[in-house]
Amino acid sequence: MKAAAGCAAALALPLLLPSRHLATFVLLTLAAAVTVGVSLLMGYAGQVSLGQASFYAIGAYAAGLLAVHGTPPLLGLLLAPVLAAAAAALIGFPLLRLRGHHLAFATLAVQLILLSLLAQASWAGGAIGLQGIPRFSIGGYSLTDDLGYAYLALLVLGIALLVSRNVVSSRAGRGLRAAATSEIAAAASGVPVGGYRLAVFALSAAFAGLAGGVYAFFLGYLAPGSFPVLLSIEYVVMAVVGGLGTIAGPVVGAVLIVVLVQVLNTLGTQPGMPDYAPSVLSYAVYALVLVVCVLYLPKGVVPSVSAALHARRR
Amino acid sequence: MSDLVGYVVTGLGIGAGFALVASGLVAIYRVTRVVNFAQGAFAVLAAMFTGTLLTAGLPHGVAELGGVLLGAAAGLIVGVIAIGRPGTSPGTSLIVTLGLGVLAYAIEVLIWGDQPRSYPGVPGVAEVAGARLQAHYLLILAVTGPVFAGLSWFFLRTDLGKALSACASNRYAAQIVGIDVRRMGLIAFGLGGALGGLAGVLTTPVQQVTFDSDVALIVNGFAAAVLGGLTRPVVALAGGLLLGVAQTLVAGYGGGAYQVEVALVLMLTVMIVQSARTPIAVAA
Repeated sequence: MKAAAGCAAALALPLLLPSRHLATFVLLTLAAAVTVGVSLLMGYAGQVSLGQASFYAIGAYAAGLLAVHGTPPLLGLLLAPVLAAAAAALIGFPLLRLRGHHLAFATLAVQLILLSLLAQASWAGGAIGLQGIPRFSIGGYSLTDDLGYAYLALLVLGIALLVSRNVVSSRAGRGLRAAATSEIAAAASGVPVGGYRLAVFALSAAFAGLAGGVYAFFLGYLAPGSFPVLLSIEYVVMAVVGGLGTIAGPVVGAVLIVVLVQVLNTLGTQPGMPDYAPSVLSYAVYALVLVVCVLYLPKGVVPSVSAALHARRR
Repeated sequence: MSDLVGYVVTGLGIGAGFALVASGLVAIYRVTRVVNFAQGAFAVLAAMFTGTLLTAGLPHGVAELGGVLLGAAAGLIVGVIAIGRPGTSPGTSLIVTLGLGVLAYAIEVLIWGDQPRSYPGVPGVAEVAGARLQAHYLLILAVTGPVFAGLSWFFLRTDLGKALSACASNRYAAQIVGIDVRRMGLIAFGLGGALGGLAGVLTTPVQQVTFDSDVALIVNGFAAAVLGGLTRPVVALAGGLLLGVAQTLVAGYGGGAYQVEVALVLMLTVMIVQSARTPIAVAA
């Protein structure tokens, strides 16, 4: 029931929004889709990834490069998550031996390596970036306006939410939750912990890759600078703020953060404000929201609010 | 031959910076089990503040000291927020320090803007065994050596240092003999802040600093520290120097493009090898 209402609201929103806000809506929806994966990874597999933007970048570059070289955009978009997941499986095989802060730094290192390689790769546009990516099209119909991309992004988010819900309630999901509490107990009960962890890592990368593919077609231009380390941190902030290990958490977290940043951005670009105001405000928002949330609302917004509602109803 | 000597000495100078960042990480991690993500931010804050003090007309030495003190103060503040609340787990504290590192961006851009900054260090060119290099690198080495010697003296010979080491080896036992573990944690954060600040202050004359240089510093510092399992300052020194020399050699002979990757791949390899040797229960 709640899910249906949420779907209806999400589908109606792009039509109701003023068109100048549609671009923000698209980016917000894509960020939410990536955050679904981060939340799955952090909440169920107990792993912190500070390099999720690298899979976003891999998906975007895969779709972009394929499209530039004449592959049909639909095929490129479908291959983007596959390639991102394959990269994650390849990287994850050695990396997922690591735990906690080691894994956090390892994923961060992977992203820095990727950015450095992309900046030197002339075939991918180098530091200047990859230009001239065509618009997304299926058959002869080409998606040109922001409204179309808003629905494409919603479709991606919907897929990510649906898959992640099914994974969580599946046998593998139960095994993962058991492993997050006690790895040894879960392994002793026959849960293939390592394999499941790798699968979730690859799945979260696939979400990021799919979102990245849409991003490439939406903007038509990619550069290593579009995928800074701060972007990976943003996803972690959104996941933590929304509430780890919940389905609605990533969406709520992404909406809260993006709306807050947008409001402050509007404030920061008012006449009379110094030109550094927008960036200062957005850094401060990420930082303060993250710190306050981790310390005083450690379960995140969604579990806390629903617990409060539950208590009231009794 | 003189090329090689030049690269090695330059590398040692750069590596000393990493080693100082790493020693700060180690000082904090040993006592609190928190990996402090804001460690690079201390360096940036201290370096920028030193630049401001120098512009204001303060002499060299005093300005640098001011930068290091600001680093220590920042360390203490981060410590209070990250471990001040009883019951904060190290994992939570890591996320908190990550947030505080981003907060430092806001403060740095607000005060100093987003352009690279630097200030003059030791002027002139020195000659070592026929190799010509910036004299400032020698100053970095001349300061780093005594600092590490002082650190090991501090940890092994003074009461405060012994108390810190006691917390590092067994928190519970340390509490029983009357050591205030939380206060020791805050002292460790202050010390870590000062060491991070010193790294920034020393290396800025040869490497410009921007508000987001902290990512490179923290990653290289972590890479150096991880060699010693994040608990042994002297191994961190060796790791930092090795990393610096490896990077300048690759930059010098390999065309300069891949020096970032060297540090990162080295770090990944070390961590993976280490984790393969430790059982899961210990690593978790």
